[in-house]
Amino acid sequence: MKRRAFLKFAGLAALFHRFFVRDLFAAQGPVVAVATNRDHAAATRSAIAALGGMKRFVKKGDVVVVKPNIGWDRSPEQAANTNPTVVKTVVQEALAAGAKKVKVFDRPCNDERRCYVNSGIKAALAGMKNVELKFMEVERYRKVTLNGKALPEWDLYDEALDANVFINVPVAKNHGLTRVTAGLKNVMGVMGRNRGSIHRKIDESLADVNRVLKSHLVVVDATRILTDNGPQGGNLADVKILNKVLASTDIVAIDAYATTLFGLKPEDIAVTVAAHRRGLGEIDLKKVRLMQV
Amino acid sequence: MKKMRMARVSQLLFLFIFFALFVSTEYRGSDTVPAAINSFFRSDPLVLATYLAAARSFTWLLFPALLMLLFTALLGRFFCGWICPLGTILDLVTGRIRKSGPIQLLKGNFKYWLLLPLLFAALFRVNLAGLLDPLAILVRGLTFFLYPLIGDTARQGWVGVYRLIGARRDHIAPAYNLLHDYLLPFRETFYPLAFLSALMLGGIIFLERYERRNWCRNICPLGTLLGLLSRFSIFSRVPATLCDDCAKCKSACPSTFREGVQLKEECLLCLECVDWCRQRKAHFVLEPPRREGRPFLPERRVLIGGALSGFLLAGAFRFRSPEANARMLRPPGVKDEDEFLDKCVRCGECMKVCLKGALYPSVLHGGVGGIFTPMMIPRLGYCEYNCTLCGQVCPTAAIPSLPVEEKRRAVIGKASFDKNVCLPFAKKTNCIVCEEHCPMPKKAIQAETVRTTDLNGKPVELKQPYVVDDLCNGCGICENVCPLEGKAGIEVLAVHDKTPLKVAAGEAQQQEWADPYQ
Repeated sequence: MKRRAFLKFAGLAALFHRFFVRDLFAAQGPVVAVATNRDHAAATRSAIAALGGMKRFVKKGDVVVVKPNIGWDRSPEQAANTNPTVVKTVVQEALAAGAKKVKVFDRPCNDERRCYVNSGIKAALAGMKNVELKFMEVERYRKVTLNGKALPEWDLYDEALDANVFINVPVAKNHGLTRVTAGLKNVMGVMGRNRGSIHRKIDESLADVNRVLKSHLVVVDATRILTDNGPQGGNLADVKILNKVLASTDIVAIDAYATTLFGLKPEDIAVTVAAHRRGLGEIDLKKVRLMQV
Repeated sequence: MKKMRMARVSQLLFLFIFFALFVSTEYRGSDTVPAAINSFFRSDPLVLATYLAAARSFTWLLFPALLMLLFTALLGRFFCGWICPLGTILDLVTGRIRKSGPIQLLKGNFKYWLLLPLLFAALFRVNLAGLLDPLAILVRGLTFFLYPLIGDTARQGWVGVYRLIGARRDHIAPAYNLLHDYLLPFRETFYPLAFLSALMLGGIIFLERYERRNWCRNICPLGTLLGLLSRFSIFSRVPATLCDDCAKCKSACPSTFREGVQLKEECLLCLECVDWCRQRKAHFVLEPPRREGRPFLPERRVLIGGALSGFLLAGAFRFRSPEANARMLRPPGVKDEDEFLDKCVRCGECMKVCLKGALYPSVLHGGVGGIFTPMMIPRLGYCEYNCTLCGQVCPTAAIPSLPVEEKRRAVIGKASFDKNVCLPFAKKTNCIVCEEHCPMPKKAIQAETVRTTDLNGKPVELKQPYVVDDLCNGCGICENVCPLEGKAGIEVLAVHDKTPLKVAAGEAQQQEWADPYQ
């Protein structure tokens, strides 16, 4: 090949490639990967792989925070907490991508010791190297200026703020006030102080916090979903088994899609609507690329 | 080095067991507490005696105390000299305290004036034994005062390290976690009556200023009770009296030689006199009890006076303020207040083990007679839905040990809204944090959606909560998590009818639901 021809080819290829990449990730809107598999570890792995793999988020030597929902003293089949297999797989993927340390924690509503044990997450992470499943400590909350619509400032957890990568791993479930909760509500677990008081303006408050504490990756556990009497349920008749794990970088899109699993429209959920209005992501599922894997 | 006596070895061993059990009276990842400290109380004859008198029934939980009675009748007050952790602590500190001579007031029949009214009051259904039981005093002093103080000091230090070096503290976290996981309290709870508990324990140590084992020989109702029995003991010291030429053992004895005669009811069997005897004359032999020519109880009027004051005491403690009583929430499974008061030892075990720091010693809520008995204060902590620890550690089953399904249905009280402060009613804003936290699978707190106008006259849609009494077990989490400051918008109030909640149709079947993917 002549030098001129080569340069032309290389130049055009680069130009073309750029457009191609932009088309793929920008023009078609955000991606929500939906993996369905009775093997929940495999479902989690393929959902993350569909987004381009964990290496896209975690670089070698990163400190990663994985924030599941460990809110309640309930067993895994009751679907009040994130499925321990999903949590474990996310942690494994992060380690495999080169994470120096993975920290896992939540601020539970019931006794934290009982929640960590009975959610199955303590057992799932037992013996893993460079993984810390830790209780949150009062002194580690840091006052953060949010300049939000509802919250001017709030105390957020330092380890979540300081992490290189924040992976939000909620379970999709029913909630008395907000009807359905997933990623946006899960960040309440890093809020300090009297967080119950934000229920007065929960939609704007959650948008305020999510605007500052960004989830680099959201993995929604929908292996089992709690359809009624949330957020803690307790009645297995309210649990529906879907064997789905969702993954996305767009927290609004993934919450919007999770809502449809409950037979509701994304617009029905005030929290998702507020987050979309505040520019946190896409609520219109027509503009979201769904990847069924 | 001085030769270590057998009694001292035993004392230290039991003291160690006592502390080990004390520290392990806490949730450590298992739903059952394997070795709760209650084994000491279950071997406590004073607890047994007052339980029998007040509750007029027997529980096999207290069988060890029956054995202890039997062995005391055979051998004497070996409990005091070989086992009692409070006695051991006194022995360990007394050497450092200079003595100023006995208090005359405490001599004579003082201890019977304590024991007998206590026993008779129990017979008239006011069981105050735990108030003066040495083990209860020790556990309360530790639980309410010393342990939280140690925990809080360690915690403050740990927080201080964070303030100093920030996240770099993580490097030494494993060391602290080890301490925190196995030795320190998980949650530093501060208690009412901490001061009184410390004062009682401190007072007993202070009494060592006057003579050795002052509490044990002159006051302790448990020791006095054991002393009464030990008069039958077949284990006796010879010679029974002091030798004329030497009285060395008298000065070595932590107990009493009255008029040269060693009193069986006060001998702690520490065997120090054997060790100190230069002529090697003193030793203990097995022989039938001697007739000592003394009345069994010191004087008839002490007996009659004891009965009378027990009766009066029982009556004097009956006052209860209805308003305070409305917040008198007993631990789960307690159905009848009077029966509970008959059985409760006031040892503080349930409060020590309570996961969420829900239980506190009552000050005057249940009247003077209920002092130190456990009550739930939901604003400070709530009864965890799946936890059954308080029933497990209660030495007398005053709090019954229930299987978890039954405990969930046991009624502590009933929640009710105070619409003058509850947000959706008083401020016309959404909240329902209480509904969110209600652990009942069918939710004892439900909400109706109403359209109304807010305080600015704008139309709003509100979720207004209400309580379904048939589903509410009064666990108190709603009151605990209510985001209002100070007073909550929902409160758990005591109820007379504590019939357990019904099993919902289909619920029993669901328990056996198996996860098809495991």
